[in-house]
Amino acid sequence: MGTDSGRRDRSLVSRVVDRSITDPASVYRKLFYVTTAVLLFVSLFPFYYLLVVALTPQGRTTQAGLLPAGFDPSSFVQLFQVLPFHRFMLNSLLIAISVTAFVLVFASFAGYVFGRMEFRGKKPLFLLLIAVSYFPGATFIVGLFRLLTGNVTVLGITSPNLFNTPAAVGLPLTALALPFAILLLTTFYSQIPDGLEDAARVTGSTRIGALYRIIAPLSAPGLVTAGVLTFITAYNEFFFSQLMTNGAAADWSPIVWGLTNYQTQVSVRYDLMAAASLVGVLPVAVLVLLAQKRIVSGLSSGSLKG
Amino acid sequence: MPSNRTATATRETVTPNLVRNAGGRLNDWVENLSETGFAYLVLVPVLAVFALVALWPVLYTLQTSFFADSFSQFHGGFVGLTNYVELLTGQRDALLIRPFLDLSSPFQSVLPTTLIYTAVTVVSITVLGFVQALILDKTFRGRSIVRTAVLLPWAVPIVIQGMIFYLLFIPEAGLGTQVFNDLGLIGTRPLNNSAPTLGVVSLSAVWKRSAFVALIVLSGLQSIDQRLYDVARVAGASRWEQFRLITLPQVMPVLLVAMLLTSIGSMRVYGQIDAISNCSTMPSLTCAVVETFNGSLYGTASALAFITAALIGLVSMIYLVKFNNTSTGGI
Repeated sequence: MGTDSGRRDRSLVSRVVDRSITDPASVYRKLFYVTTAVLLFVSLFPFYYLLVVALTPQGRTTQAGLLPAGFDPSSFVQLFQVLPFHRFMLNSLLIAISVTAFVLVFASFAGYVFGRMEFRGKKPLFLLLIAVSYFPGATFIVGLFRLLTGNVTVLGITSPNLFNTPAAVGLPLTALALPFAILLLTTFYSQIPDGLEDAARVTGSTRIGALYRIIAPLSAPGLVTAGVLTFITAYNEFFFSQLMTNGAAADWSPIVWGLTNYQTQVSVRYDLMAAASLVGVLPVAVLVLLAQKRIVSGLSSGSLKG
Repeated sequence: MPSNRTATATRETVTPNLVRNAGGRLNDWVENLSETGFAYLVLVPVLAVFALVALWPVLYTLQTSFFADSFSQFHGGFVGLTNYVELLTGQRDALLIRPFLDLSSPFQSVLPTTLIYTAVTVVSITVLGFVQALILDKTFRGRSIVRTAVLLPWAVPIVIQGMIFYLLFIPEAGLGTQVFNDLGLIGTRPLNNSAPTLGVVSLSAVWKRSAFVALIVLSGLQSIDQRLYDVARVAGASRWEQFRLITLPQVMPVLLVAMLLTSIGSMRVYGQIDAISNCSTMPSLTCAVVETFNGSLYGTASALAFITAALIGLVSMIYLVKFNNTSTGGI
């Protein structure tokens, strides 16, 4: 028996070796499929584990393994009862949507000017915008805190106290996301052929008219890409979201606080943490599914131009 | 068409004359501006917002770093570079959660922890990202599914990324704790000890951030002239030789950009640490900024922030020098 299986093993090994010498392509193909399977597993397993923990009944979560220890989907209801997680979600979504709107307005102006016009001071100005965006968030925090808590007075005008309003997080996030969006849209606008705009100008259209009739309709794809990436950036941000808010749902604290509050304010409910994580990841997961191609092209072109 | 024209005409008559005149005058004024004038006119709102919420805060933080800590105000007395000197020489260690630079316990000291974490994550993220890019570069059935799967972790909020790895490494019970403890790599309470926590936080970073590197490398792979491979095949080069002599040198500039961006991200790590464990178990530079900031030690916090910025600047310079040496003709 033993020798028999040993011989079979050896013949299997020698067959594989033979095949890999005579047909190396088949080995590469196998390697390719194994690697792909491993990549899929690594990327998706953590989400599956969240589901396992979320479905495990309260109190038995430490027994969850590859499968849930029992089946109890009520954690997806309880998570909203224990903490107002819906309010945290709403705060995050509203902040991310308004940041996206602001960023798109400002970045499309700037992208148009940087992408399509030649003017004095263009290069240094552009570099300044990009350089500041690579400063770590920590270098903003003392100044921003001072500004947004209403401690700055210029020419008799005191900055309003914006703490505990959506603007306290929204403004820093706008500043954070703006340079990348400008970069993306600059590339985008520079690729619209000059001829179109020139033609409109020659046929008597004004500057603003050409902008409105020619450039605006053509810029929709670029704006969607920049919008999706800005929304994800804003929704996912941690540093300012935590430091510029006080953690109360009613005071516009985002999901950063919603989730960490399950760790600190609720006595060990791993199932709720997992369920809340799955709920919190839904908006961005849907975006990835819908706008995958735009995200891919936007990320690679934006990052490489910078 | 005719009905459309009528609608436009009606709208024009409805528009009050005053508004139309003002609009016309604005239009004339814009029309007579030079190109530079028009450019700056459009840029004014952007620059104003940017100056207020980005430039001013950075400059104010820089200024604060030259002033002593003061609990009642943002600025104490002017002390020049004292904050920096005392931080770097360890005289401020008592104010920090962990010493700034203590080589006897590198996993419990601010600067070494940040650098170890950066080195570990940049190497592993680059390798995994490269592999992902090589896979996504192939055409096969189900590629878009693989691409979605690879991209999903990238889109996960940092706090949820932290939550996932916190749950995976719960003391004793977490699946990750069990698996890695069986391998003898971590104890039963990994998130209470510094070295295992650094490992878990690095793992979470690799999971989330490799897709970003993959996408950048992928765009590099796709811009390689395929005829190079034809020539190599005719010359009898093996797959490995093709990879080493064509693929790697061709994507090197793009790969360096990806590594630079990864390094910048890693050197300012904070959110994952706070969500997975805490800043006293794994003290990074930004952790130290947050702790001192929350303690109203604004001078110290600002100086720490600019030490982080200087470190990032230094590392970026190294990459840029390397980049200039490798890139031929620019990308």
